[in-house]
Amino acid sequence: MRIAALVLLFPALAFAEPATLIRTTELKQSPASDAATVATLAETTKVDALERKGGWTRVRAEGGAEGWVRMLALRYAGAGEAKQGDAGISQILNVARTGTSGAQVTTGVRGLDAEQLANAKPNAAELKKMERYAASRDGAEGFAAKGKLSAQQVDYPREDGR
Amino acid sequence: MNRLRVLAMCTLCALCAALPAQAQFNINRLLDSARNVGKATQEIGEKEEIEIGQDMASRLLGAAPLMANDGVQRYVNSVGRWLASQTERPDLPWRFGVLEAPQLNAFATPGGHIFITRGLLERMKSEAELAGVLAHEISHVLKKHHLKAIQKGAQMELAGAAVSMLARQDRNAVSREKLLTAGTELFSRGLDKSDELEADRLGVVIAARGGYDAYGLPSVLQTLQAMNPEDSGVALMFKTHPAPAERLDALERMQPTLDAYAGQPQLAERFAATARARR
Repeated sequence: MRIAALVLLFPALAFAEPATLIRTTELKQSPASDAATVATLAETTKVDALERKGGWTRVRAEGGAEGWVRMLALRYAGAGEAKQGDAGISQILNVARTGTSGAQVTTGVRGLDAEQLANAKPNAAELKKMERYAASRDGAEGFAAKGKLSAQQVDYPREDGR
Repeated sequence: MNRLRVLAMCTLCALCAALPAQAQFNINRLLDSARNVGKATQEIGEKEEIEIGQDMASRLLGAAPLMANDGVQRYVNSVGRWLASQTERPDLPWRFGVLEAPQLNAFATPGGHIFITRGLLERMKSEAELAGVLAHEISHVLKKHHLKAIQKGAQMELAGAAVSMLARQDRNAVSREKLLTAGTELFSRGLDKSDELEADRLGVVIAARGGYDAYGLPSVLQTLQAMNPEDSGVALMFKTHPAPAERLDALERMQPTLDAYAGQPQLAERFAATARARR
C-alpha cells in the first residue's frame, strides 16, 4: 500500500500546478536574469507551473507562451481555493471513508495533532532507538563528499549577526 | 544547578501565593521572585538545555514513534549532521528523526533533537528541500527559541501555578514536569512569528553553507502554500506557523543569498533513491 502511494506521489510532483503571478514579471527564455525576455506578464496572470530550477520556475502562461519566471513571484492556488476532499498522503494512508456518508474515520495509524501531543506520554525506548541512527561529524562529511556538496562561507543576514 | 534554583524560586512563589493573610507583603515578594526566576532561566546551561530537549523529544516520540526504516533514519541524520557542522554549535549531540505520522510538520527541541514527519518527507522533491527544512529547525536550536519561550511562559504562569504546585508533595518533580509541559505545549501552540521568520532566513544560509541549492526551503514553502489549509495533514502546522505565502514574502529579502547559491546541487536523485528504498 505504501509503496504504491509513493510511486504515485513522486511523479505527481512534476505535474502542472496552477499558480498566479504576484507582480509584473518577465517571462525568460531560460532560467537566468540575463536571458532573453519572451514576454512581460502582468500581475495576477494565471500560469501553470511545470518545473523548478534554482530560483526559477518554468511556466506555461494563459495563451500558451512558455518560459521561466522568478519562483518567488508565484503563488499557488491551494490557499483559499479548496481542493476536493482531504488531499494527499494522509487520506491515502490514514483515513477511510465509511458507507455513503463520506464520514472520515482514522484507521489505527497514530499521528500528530494537538490533542495527541497534549496527551503524549514519554517514550524512552524510541528516544534510545534514535541514538542508534546518529551520524558522526566525520561520517556526515563523507556523506556530503559523496553528494559533491562543498561547504561554503555564507554570512547570516546582518540583523541576526548579534 | 540552575534549574534547581528555578525550582526553588517557583516553590518560594508557591508558598507566598498560598498565604492570603500576608497578601500585600507577598505581592512584592512574588514579583521579586518572578524576576529572579527569569534571571535564573536565562542562565540555563548547555547540560540542562540538552536534558530539557531530551524530555521534550521523548514526549514527541510518545505521540508518534520513529518511522520503521533504518535507511531513511540514517539518511536524514547524515543530511542534518552535515548542516549542523556548518553552524556555531557544531558539537551539540545533534539527532534527527523521521516520525511515523501522516501529517506534515517538523519540530526542534532544545539541545539538538530534530524531527520531521513522514508526511512532510513524502512531499519533498530533493535533498536540498530536506536540507532547507532541517536547517530551519537547526536555527531554532541555535537561537534557543524554544528555551526562551519556555522561560517566558514560566514567568507568566508563575502566579497561577503557585497554589496547585504547593499542593503536591514532590515539588521538584512537579516543577520539572511543569517545564516539560510548557515545552511540549509549544508544539501545539507554536513560537512567535518573528522566531519562525528568523529561522527561515538562517535556514537558507545554513543550507547554502552546506553546499545545497539555497532554494530548497522556499520550494517546500511553495509546496505547502499550494495545499488546502483545511487539509487535516497541515492543520497543526498552519496553526503554529505564519502562512506559507507570508513566509515566502519575507524571504524575498534573502534573494541575493538565494540567487548566489541557487546553482548548488539539489540531489533529487539521491533523495528519490533513498525515499523509494523504503520497505
